[in-house]
Amino acid sequence: MSELANDIKKASLEASERTGLTVTHIAARRGARASLDDVARTAFGVSLPSSPKAVEAQGALIVWTGPDQWLIVQKDETGLDHYAELAKTFNGLASLVDVTDSRTIFRIAVSRPSETLLRSMGIDFHDNSFRPGDVAITHVSHLGVIVWRLPDGTAYDFACARTYSRDFADWLRKTMA
Amino acid sequence: MRINCPHCGERSLDEFSYLGDAVVRPDPASPNAQDAFYAYGYERANVAGPMQELWYHAAGCHAWLVVTRDTRTHEISEVKSAQEVALARQKVAGTAQ
Repeated sequence: MSELANDIKKASLEASERTGLTVTHIAARRGARASLDDVARTAFGVSLPSSPKAVEAQGALIVWTGPDQWLIVQKDETGLDHYAELAKTFNGLASLVDVTDSRTIFRIAVSRPSETLLRSMGIDFHDNSFRPGDVAITHVSHLGVIVWRLPDGTAYDFACARTYSRDFADWLRKTMA
Repeated sequence: MRINCPHCGERSLDEFSYLGDAVVRPDPASPNAQDAFYAYGYERANVAGPMQELWYHAAGCHAWLVVTRDTRTHEISEVKSAQEVALARQKVAGTAQ
């Protein structure tokens, strides 16, 4: 599917599909939020965000995806099963689903986000409004997306259902036309 | 109309689904459960003024919300997480027992 976004390159925007990742969705079990946070702090050195934020820690990006829910995005490493490690770490405190194969993540580097990304979206992408590390769950042309700005502020990642990834790429291509 | 989701911030109406009146569902174990469920299902108030309603942030964080909206003006005076509202009600019910 890497051909999806490779041809989307304009003066103000460049898109690519991120590959070689393990993406895990975790949801805190009822009443286990505090214990889950303790375990996360030990494992990653940071607390799980309670608001729409993405935090980077120990090579993982932890993205808030709703109350008591997160996506953990990790780069694949040979001989390491990230999902199995997370399942062991959060055993009994959270429900985990490996969503690597059901999500496509597009990385969009854009020089003028408030002009380009706003065209079909209801989120204010102005630099002062959507800051580095901010997250939004929303839709573009009826396609559900989770968008986060990288904590270093250099680009935006859009995660959508893999089934709709071609439609998302089409949207991006047409929006940029 | 825009709704200020307590989790995501202010979002456009097209991200939300409307369920209706946020009255408390009757207790199925209560002695008058049949009448109470009939009233709950069919005898809805048609409020002209502020009303508590359930909205679902379907295209956002997937949280249920209790929105207080004036049905005449669409002015929204309060938005709370439905989970918080339910827990507060349980606490009040527990205190009353």
